[in-house]
Amino acid sequence: MSYITGPEVVSYACTCGLLKPIPQLYFCRHCSQLRCGFCVCHEVDSIFCGKCSENIPSAEARVKKNRCASCFNCPSCHQELSTRIATKGPVVNPEDAKQPSPHKKTYYLSCYFCRWNSRDVGIPDQGSATGAWPERENVHAHRLQEIMDTYKQVMMSQKQQKENDKKKQRGKFVSFTDRTGVTSSAIRKRIGLPDIPHAMLKKPNPPEPAVAKLEVEELPDSLFTDPVNLLEITTIEQRHLQPETQAATVDMLFPIHKQLSIKRSLRCRRCEHNVSKPEYNPNSVKFKIQLFAYYHIPEVRIVTVEPLRAGKTCELILKFTNPTQHETTIAIKYVDLEQQATYVEEQKLSDVIEVLEQLSLQQPTSLPSLSGSQPSSLLSLTPRQPSITVKPRKINEEVNCDVAIPDSSFILPPRDDAAEYDDSTDTHNIEDDPKLVKWRKSNKAFIKLQVTPMAHLEVGKEVICGFTMQHIYTNVIATTIENKLPQKYEHNVRVFLRLGNVVGQE
Amino acid sequence: MELRDSNYNKNDYVETASGNKVCRQTVLCGSQNIILQGKVIVQAEAIIRGDLANVKTGRYCIISREAVLRPPSKKFSKVVAFFPLSIGDHVFIGERTLVNAAQIGSYVHIGKNCVIGRRCVLKDCCVIEDNTVLAPETVVPPFARYSGSPAVQTGELPECHADLMIDYTRSYYQHFQPLPK
Repeated sequence: MSYITGPEVVSYACTCGLLKPIPQLYFCRHCSQLRCGFCVCHEVDSIFCGKCSENIPSAEARVKKNRCASCFNCPSCHQELSTRIATKGPVVNPEDAKQPSPHKKTYYLSCYFCRWNSRDVGIPDQGSATGAWPERENVHAHRLQEIMDTYKQVMMSQKQQKENDKKKQRGKFVSFTDRTGVTSSAIRKRIGLPDIPHAMLKKPNPPEPAVAKLEVEELPDSLFTDPVNLLEITTIEQRHLQPETQAATVDMLFPIHKQLSIKRSLRCRRCEHNVSKPEYNPNSVKFKIQLFAYYHIPEVRIVTVEPLRAGKTCELILKFTNPTQHETTIAIKYVDLEQQATYVEEQKLSDVIEVLEQLSLQQPTSLPSLSGSQPSSLLSLTPRQPSITVKPRKINEEVNCDVAIPDSSFILPPRDDAAEYDDSTDTHNIEDDPKLVKWRKSNKAFIKLQVTPMAHLEVGKEVICGFTMQHIYTNVIATTIENKLPQKYEHNVRVFLRLGNVVGQE
Repeated sequence: MELRDSNYNKNDYVETASGNKVCRQTVLCGSQNIILQGKVIVQAEAIIRGDLANVKTGRYCIISREAVLRPPSKKFSKVVAFFPLSIGDHVFIGERTLVNAAQIGSYVHIGKNCVIGRRCVLKDCCVIEDNTVLAPETVVPPFARYSGSPAVQTGELPECHADLMIDYTRSYYQHFQPLPK
């Protein structure tokens, strides 16, 4: 199973020119283009803890520094820590022993992998399982907070500066950029009063600069005389796990809060439609929107390939699977790498045109309409930031094997989930070219192709062949109200196959 | 790559009405506690310890050669108790792998020579690569790829992993055919 564990044997060229196996590709139905992880916009949908499977609101996650409040990792080996019940506490309080409450449970944290536990570093056992485990205060916390506040102020004042610059450009027109409508500063400006800067926006006070010291403490003698016990000294990895404290010895290691995970939704950068949106529940593996290429583009798999010899024609058998609910016709065409190069050039040109258009458009849009005919919600909407589109690039794959392009095309019937239980008949009234189609079953077809590795290839060289797969894509989304019938059109995908290495002559 | 046919000797395997194919050279202790939901393949020399606690697998599970499924234990103050081991649908367990987990979700791929530690929880859609040692009581979240010893997350899975696993286990079952006479 090459998709799950093995090497990438069959790869598809994304519209941007990168080669990816089909499970990693998306298919935007609105632009009818393949998209890979680099040409979609990644957005954080929800934040959750992978251990306790709890959703955490983003505001809370920010306060907790994207770490779970209740789950811990081992500071020594970074595995998850488990809470254990201390049945016989080593510290028996003489006062407790007198009282008739022997069932008082205490809890401590323990790592089952490296046997580290919270008692090793002197963390007292807790009375409850979730435990208010003591946090180590960072000695520099105050100073860090001070510096952070200052830089936040710097950021705010710079933002304000920019806003002011914008206002100046617009002349005396009122700014409606604020979501709340007319801002106080805008009103002040309107009635001719000078704008008072916000308290937070005053010139930021620089934090107390760090003071250089000439007098430093002498290194303790023990450092030179005592033998080094490496077992007591933390490793670089262990220190990097706790950047705040960077404990030098193992008895200073504290449990680390577990890092949170995210669920993300993906958005096409061209048309801003979602191509993937997961369900909210952290344990769910289902999706609300799932426009994965695996569900829309016919899948190609290598079944068998004859031993590859340079300059000799050999037979390649491929399996094509139609994942959609609609019949499709597949034709195999010559792969044209020049085509991508021209596409790259075209995109560059169209980008330039777009920029020019935007420049010319900016003039009228910057004038706010005060007629009141538009709903205020529209007015207050900040213009959506254009997402960064990925520039297409040339396909970086060296094809060193010729594929004999078949003259005919073949039909793939729609996918039928019930076909698995229906062994009786496999009737399909499809007339196939026996030279092309070897065998077919439900929505799959086994196709024979003749490939010839180039004559100059040395023994042991990897053979890569490529072709363009043209298939009929049926788009079921109704683009306009009148046009309710599904639209069919031809879609081209460039497929590259790694066939294996050239073997020697017989 | 398309899977190749893997053949077995018809006399070595028992096929049940629900489509389970269980090799005769396996150790199934406490078989009354073992539930195979259908179309499950248990290959030669696998061990399933149903005598410790219930073992339940979903449909289309593949338990490879010399794999060991053992319900997890928990030590209490005086006694040791065993807990049931439940496995979801479309799960692949590789050769010579020891599974001591409490729960394995659906669409999980476990490679060969792995140790899945005591009371681990593997959520739906995850991959444990070959030669991995998963520390006890680890929780593997969905769409995670774990490897190494001790296992850490080393990657993520494509969103259509569930369908890839369905396709894989189904075609494995279809290609697992008796030797022609």
